[in-house]
Amino acid sequence: MSNKLYTYGIVEQEGLELDVEGVGGAESIYTVDYRALSAVVSDIDTTDPERTDDAVEAHNDVLQRVLEYDGGRTIVPMSFGMAFKNGRTLKGVLRGAQRALRSTLNDIDSTVELGVKVIDSGEDETAEEIAQAGMTDRLSEASINETENDLFSDRLIVNKSYLVDREHRDEFDAAIDTIRSAHDDVTVQYTGPWPPYNFVDIHIGTDQQRGGR
Amino acid sequence: MAQPDSSSLAEVLDRVLDKGVVVDAYARISLVGIEILTVEARVVVASVDTFLHYAEEIAKIEQAELTAGAEAAPTPEA
Repeated sequence: MSNKLYTYGIVEQEGLELDVEGVGGAESIYTVDYRALSAVVSDIDTTDPERTDDAVEAHNDVLQRVLEYDGGRTIVPMSFGMAFKNGRTLKGVLRGAQRALRSTLNDIDSTVELGVKVIDSGEDETAEEIAQAGMTDRLSEASINETENDLFSDRLIVNKSYLVDREHRDEFDAAIDTIRSAHDDVTVQYTGPWPPYNFVDIHIGTDQQRGGR
Repeated sequence: MAQPDSSSLAEVLDRVLDKGVVVDAYARISLVGIEILTVEARVVVASVDTFLHYAEEIAKIEQAELTAGAEAAPTPEA
């Protein structure tokens, strides 16, 4: 019998059980505890799940479900594919990384990530100048932190992720409206709420593997 | 008011594949001793972008636990 566990993210210790489609055909998710931490997991039959679009969406759907569950939860998201051999190996890693995980949970407490892309949809050359003249100032004011992502196209004039306190979601939404109404020649792609992917950076390895790098 | 959209596959892929906590395969399939686990966390929320290495401190904690009790974590040979 397989007792492998696919992990989606880490929350403050809490028993959660939800019926939601998971990675690898799972029909429900639950939590595995280590002290003050709980890993959100589902059963899976492999430690190397296939990286299909459906699987990636299932991973994200579970995280968004937990993120918005019953008034909202703070969750440290795992990258795709973090399946463990069993509960013992998972708990071993939670134990080894508990300081970093707890400190991260504390840093992102009560927050979600929101994505903003502004695309120049007109012929007007001044769009970029407008963007640089403080279009996103109100977004910065309504958020705790932000990261600048790659401007992979000339038409993309803003590509940022914002860390926003749940209590300031309305302010942030309103700031998006302001940008949309003030600038006819741009398209604003507003996405989320995401678990704070761009504000979590934790890598857990072993000395054995570090030696080989 | 504007509401964010969570359905864009490109946005999902960007995040789920490239970001989030990564645990190396060896640590996911082997019951490794805490003393060889390495934890690196970049603190993105703090105003100063600090790269922290937790490994040394974890080693200290482990040392204290070993001294205090008789915990024998298996240590795979490097």
